[in-house]
Amino acid sequence: MRPLTLGRLLTHCALLSAVLFVVVVIALKLGAVPVSLYGLGHDLLRVLFRQASQLSSEYQLIIFDIRLPRILLAIFVGASLSVAGASFQALLRNPLADPYVLGVSSGAAVGAIIALIVEPHLSLAPAVAALLTPVGAFLGAALTVTAVYFLGLRRGQIDSATLLLAGIISASFLQAIIMFFMSTLTGGNYRGIAFWMMGELQTPPPRIVSLILRIGFFLAAGVIYTTASDLNLLLAGENEAMHLGVDVRRVRLVVYIAASLLTGLAVSVSGAIGYVGLLVPHVMRLLFGSDHRILLPTAAFGGAIAVVVADTLARTVVSPAELPVGAMTAIAGAPLFLYLMRRRLA
Amino acid sequence: MPTATDTRKTIRAVNAVTVLLLCAAIASCPSLRAQTPPANSTASPLYKEVIDEAGRTVRVPQPVQRIVSLAPSLTETIYALGLQDRLVGDTDYCDYPPDAQKKTKVGGAINPSLEQIVALRPDLVLVTKSLNLIETVNALDHLGISSYGTDPHNVREIISSTERLAGVLGVPEAGTAIGADLERHLADLQQRLNGLPSRRVLFIVWSDPLISVGKHTFIADAMRLAGASSIVDSEQDWPQMSLEEVVRLQPDFLVFAASHSEAGQNDFDVLAERPGWRGLDAVRNRRFAVISDAVNRPAPRIVSAIEDLAHQLHPEAFAAHPDDEKKIAPPPPPQTSVRPLNSASHVPALSEVCTCAL
Amino acid sequence: MSSYARSASALRPSGDAGDFNSDVRLSVEQVSYAYSANPTQAPLFTLEATSFQARPGEIVAILGPNACGKSTLLKLIAGALHPLSGRVLLNGFITHTLPHRARGQRIAMVQQESPLLFPSRAWEFVLQGRHPYGRTLRFESEEDITIVRNALAQVGAEHLSDRFMDQISGGEKQRVILARALAQQPLLLLLDEPTLHLDIGAQVDLLETLRRLAAANRYTVVVVTHELNLAGQYADQVALLQKGKCLRVGPPATVFQRELLEQVFQTPLTVELGSSGRPRVSMPSEK
Repeated sequence: MRPLTLGRLLTHCALLSAVLFVVVVIALKLGAVPVSLYGLGHDLLRVLFRQASQLSSEYQLIIFDIRLPRILLAIFVGASLSVAGASFQALLRNPLADPYVLGVSSGAAVGAIIALIVEPHLSLAPAVAALLTPVGAFLGAALTVTAVYFLGLRRGQIDSATLLLAGIISASFLQAIIMFFMSTLTGGNYRGIAFWMMGELQTPPPRIVSLILRIGFFLAAGVIYTTASDLNLLLAGENEAMHLGVDVRRVRLVVYIAASLLTGLAVSVSGAIGYVGLLVPHVMRLLFGSDHRILLPTAAFGGAIAVVVADTLARTVVSPAELPVGAMTAIAGAPLFLYLMRRRLA
Repeated sequence: MPTATDTRKTIRAVNAVTVLLLCAAIASCPSLRAQTPPANSTASPLYKEVIDEAGRTVRVPQPVQRIVSLAPSLTETIYALGLQDRLVGDTDYCDYPPDAQKKTKVGGAINPSLEQIVALRPDLVLVTKSLNLIETVNALDHLGISSYGTDPHNVREIISSTERLAGVLGVPEAGTAIGADLERHLADLQQRLNGLPSRRVLFIVWSDPLISVGKHTFIADAMRLAGASSIVDSEQDWPQMSLEEVVRLQPDFLVFAASHSEAGQNDFDVLAERPGWRGLDAVRNRRFAVISDAVNRPAPRIVSAIEDLAHQLHPEAFAAHPDDEKKIAPPPPPQTSVRPLNSASHVPALSEVCTCAL
Repeated sequence: MSSYARSASALRPSGDAGDFNSDVRLSVEQVSYAYSANPTQAPLFTLEATSFQARPGEIVAILGPNACGKSTLLKLIAGALHPLSGRVLLNGFITHTLPHRARGQRIAMVQQESPLLFPSRAWEFVLQGRHPYGRTLRFESEEDITIVRNALAQVGAEHLSDRFMDQISGGEKQRVILARALAQQPLLLLLDEPTLHLDIGAQVDLLETLRRLAAANRYTVVVVTHELNLAGQYADQVALLQKGKCLRVGPPATVFQRELLEQVFQTPLTVELGSSGRPRVSMPSEK
């Protein structure tokens, strides 16, 4: 009998953050423009001690304005998606649930496309115009989540099965709208959508959007973490959980909102990166168990590591051209999914 | 009454909150970069402010010594203006002239590597609205790299765009010279084609699905200048056509753009084998024209493709003219429009599994 | 024997001191319920006003044929459903107005389990019973572990502690589920058809355990069942229901009247009184 203790949790988190650190260092080193580890360490120290002007400016640009923000973006997007995925799997009591199962990514795509349609007709300052796509995507996601919530109610309460159905149907419907848009809209600005929908981290979002993403992650993931014990019991069954003192209604609502927020934020900046939200929780369960008090933090780290690795591969395998991150996660994700599936059946 | 376990729990809670606050601090800290502008710090930078063809205000460093081109048409234009020594990087798809393939590559037009562009230290990046993404332009702006965008919609605008670009890059005389030359060629062409009925053509971008060009594209305009008119009357840039509609309209000629004439002929033969295409007069009588793929690029070379097409569609207009003008770039060997019927030496690409509905 | 006493005391219900006499603990007062799928339609099902009382250490059996409202009554007692009229008092608290945590600390439910999505080990499962006592973000303490061990010991399932829940038999699973309920240290132990999938030996075993636990830990136990003889043998009180109506409440001997039973179960029956004073029901022998 080995119950989970804070000590074990912190040990695992420390281990994973060490792995993440190594991955980040490697990611900083690799790229279309090679960088030496020694030089990198040296320069990081210089920056910390405010001697940045001694660096060559292109080098500075590449490391600190392109690669590092991109890696940080990958970390937060990956962590958000994994935590959201684990939460939805518990909420919907379905191991196949991923953050997009309720139609969030399709809603975000429609929102982004509408933002692109509307943008030329509004004369906005460039700084504001750059915000339009992420804001549009987030609004699209939020509207979809709200609609699916009301469609998924049964006698005034969230019902997992109805919610799942409502989500799948909404996603299909929105996909049809997207296909319609993509075949009738012409003009340069819409071409980016195809890449966006595959999930790409190449376009750096406006700084305030990045900030919102990071703060939103800590807030929403923190809120979900407070329900970690409740989620453990919810998985055992909703009736049983209720009799064991879980306020099922409140937990479901809180987790639904927080997980949708995480997904909406991630999708608004990076498009729909697939397989991360679905598979990382399963892998972490294999390694660390199903207790959400350890699953949620380890999933966050695992997702961060996965997306950083995928993004690094995406920008190095066919260098100097770049593949969308979603392609990398799919290439790695599908075989991994098969492996996990067979393991369960074995 | 607080027990030992309670105290331990409180300490743990306090630690957790501290870690959380630390994370929040890291999360919200701005970029580590010092706030110095990324200019080459040797000489004091001079700038000229211009408005590009997308309506953006661009700060162009003077002089422009290092150029990165993110579109094959712009690479060609650079070479035409004689500025190839200043071109430090181009895309994977920039293949004309052959020397362009030796330049440092920065990736695709749609997905270039920002790092690679930055590493080349360009003074100006050239983009075009029809090919490149606004996200790329915004990202370059964010990094302090200026980009100048072109957006020509017809052949005359291609010429004026070239002249404007020449002015921005500091070689207005070269631009004017090229412009004048191209105009001369076009004027001569107009003279020859004067009074001749224009041929109704279908320009085939892709055969399966059947995609042609819309009436607002520069390719359609190029057709017009070659004495042809595209039978496709669509507002979209790349409209998908139904074969039935094409058969109803019965174009006089099919036009293919190919990198060399063999490929073009192959395209036609493959198409002719497909079910339903025999319904077209042009297919039955093998009336097709192959021109160089320069017609796909809004660059000076498009005029030679136009002339080539005019030759193929209106051979009678070019007979017995002693002073054949020097062309800008040698065109591929002209494809005669009527060919002997037994020249097919190919293997059909598709088998006809369905009977033709017509 | 001393360890037994120690474990027994660890499982004694916490809170609400002052009920160690034989005062009434559970009071079901004129509780009724109506359920309709559509608010505008007539109710599909009603439970008419039902009342009974139970003391600490007592076992009450709710008896009746299928679809007579037994499970609904149990849920009303548990506070999971709001009664249409009347109320259920547990030591003076109305059950359906108790906050979730407080309810989890006082009322434990043993019912057919939903299939587990990610199967856990038996001790993890029993540990879930400690959830009502934890604050958010807490990890289990030594005390919790001890209580879990004791709970498993009380139901004779210590040897199953490390086994996975999907790899033990139905009877063993039932015992672990009961252990989880015990870990809640409840005042009220509710069981919904606990003998459904058990063979006769396991059924007797379970009821014996319930009687022992009720006596040792002073639980009030309410069992929903349709097993007449188990109820007759082990219950201190029986409530007989038919089609949403409670026909009689009392000790088994007063409820098990032949005419009444035959009316409820729609089949000829004979009732005999055993030597212990407990009734035994059987089918009439062929003449």
